[in-house]
Amino acid sequence: MISPVAERGIYQPDLMEVTKVIAETWDTKTLHIQFKDPALRKSFSFLSGQFAEYSVFGEGEATFCISSSPTRMDHLEVSVKRVGRVTSALHQLNAGDMIGFRGPYGNHFPLDMLQGRNLLFIGGGIGLAPLRSLIQNVLDHRSEYREIMIIYGARSPQDLCFKYDLEAWSRDPSVKMITTVDVEDKDWKGKVGLVPSVMEEAAPSPAGAAAIACGPPIMIRYTLKSLEKIGFAPSQVWTTLEMKMKCGLGKCGRCNIGPLYVCKDGPVFSFEEIRSFISDEF
Amino acid sequence: MRDRAEVLGPAKENGLWTFRRFDGLDLLRGFQNSRLPVKALFLEPLRPLFEWKQQGDSPELYSFPPAGDERLIFGIRSCDARALRILGPVFARDHQDALYLKNLSRTLLLGEACRVQCEGSFCGEMGIDPQDSGDCDIFFREIAEEYVAKVLTERGEALIGEGDFFGEATEEQWRSARGEIRGSGKKPLFELETVRVRAAERFSEGELWQRVSAKCINCGVCTYLCPTCYCFDLCDLQTPNRAVRFRRWDSCAFSDFTGMAVHNPREEKWRRYRQRVSHKFNFFFQNFQAIACVGCGRCVAHCPVNLDLREVLLEVAG
Repeated sequence: MISPVAERGIYQPDLMEVTKVIAETWDTKTLHIQFKDPALRKSFSFLSGQFAEYSVFGEGEATFCISSSPTRMDHLEVSVKRVGRVTSALHQLNAGDMIGFRGPYGNHFPLDMLQGRNLLFIGGGIGLAPLRSLIQNVLDHRSEYREIMIIYGARSPQDLCFKYDLEAWSRDPSVKMITTVDVEDKDWKGKVGLVPSVMEEAAPSPAGAAAIACGPPIMIRYTLKSLEKIGFAPSQVWTTLEMKMKCGLGKCGRCNIGPLYVCKDGPVFSFEEIRSFISDEF
Repeated sequence: MRDRAEVLGPAKENGLWTFRRFDGLDLLRGFQNSRLPVKALFLEPLRPLFEWKQQGDSPELYSFPPAGDERLIFGIRSCDARALRILGPVFARDHQDALYLKNLSRTLLLGEACRVQCEGSFCGEMGIDPQDSGDCDIFFREIAEEYVAKVLTERGEALIGEGDFFGEATEEQWRSARGEIRGSGKKPLFELETVRVRAAERFSEGELWQRVSAKCINCGVCTYLCPTCYCFDLCDLQTPNRAVRFRRWDSCAFSDFTGMAVHNPREEKWRRYRQRVSHKFNFFFQNFQAIACVGCGRCVAHCPVNLDLREVLLEVAG
């Protein structure tokens, strides 16, 4: 009954080794991972916005985007907020431990439609993870894009992810970086307020621009409204959605929003595509 | 046949009809259809995918490949045979699920015409002829002490051609073998095209879905008994001796089906019920150009609170 790996099916992962663990916040970690099989390290490719299924054997599988950029293929990065069984198990891992990886799955951010435009990135909490892949990607080909504004918010200064990136982007003269928190502490130097209202205040021009948003559903709903208010057309706005997934391949039946499966028709959607569903099913 | 391939047929187990290995003794008298659809032999309720063993610092994975042995299943009803075809593209499109596809390709499907309308069924409304099928390899109609068969595929032809058991029947014999179906209604309950169009149009009518789902208790029976429900979960089972990942049936009736840590898009019961009906009569059609229901009636007959899908569809169509 048992057969070698060659006959494995679509639900069987490859092995990856954790090479480094970074504590982003009190409840979020980033794992650097690398294929155990050297041939896969060479042959593997993906695009910003794609996701994968990550296994902790014995605990199960969970879905996360690849939070690193395809322009930096030394290793892959995945950022995980501790919320349940698999994520807690992922948080227990140390460098040298092995996990399972299936992917890359899903579609990706439309780089060809972003080139030559002003880019507005809007992220909330761990929602910065997929944007970060795209931001790094864009910054690594900086001349192909015009002005870049990043608005990132979290509940408190302690909840800001990727602080090392936020600092680097703040120092980058070609990036306008705005950081905001819902609740400040005494050392906080950034903005205080919710992402949609901070964005309305910054009022980036919609002319020749594209906006890419990712965050918790409540933030997405209000951000889309605010973007419309400051003049962005639905076709200028992209978001990447999160839904519970198991297979990642459009078969297990749970991640649909209407007839669209977030795993294979997404996770990246233009606001135009999902407009009629977003208020009801997401 | 039994020495060459596994032969499965209807049999009563613990008072319920099922499909199991035919032992030559099982009596088929009174068989209308199995409690669990024959789907369970293609998309198994619990299917091991791979196991792992710790080798030094790293686990090694060993897969359980698709079964390759040929088999024959007889006594399949038109509705369940159609359901197997409807599910095909789900597992064939994009990433191929060899487990399901191989189960289909290794199985000779022998269908048999119904003589009695099943409780709760509405196959006619769903465009299924309980006395004919294009989804089997051979389809049988029983007449007094005899069968008249229609051979539909080369595989079926090969099976029939093997022995001198079968004689040539005329077109007239086949036609006249179509008898009455006991208990069938004279008038269709609803018009399928209207249901399909209205289900799409009325998706956003929360009040409608709240009303039709009011008595649902989210037990999931309708999904487990459904020949076209295919949603599944992937889960690990680890004991001191064994560590296996399985694919197992899941159900959209359960709130944790879509529940995430901080958000559930289908928290309320009516959203989950709306999902089930909309998936079958609207979304599945948009994606695969087929309706994911064959009118077998199991969900109607076995719902513990008598939530009747036929009544729901009538209301949706209204």
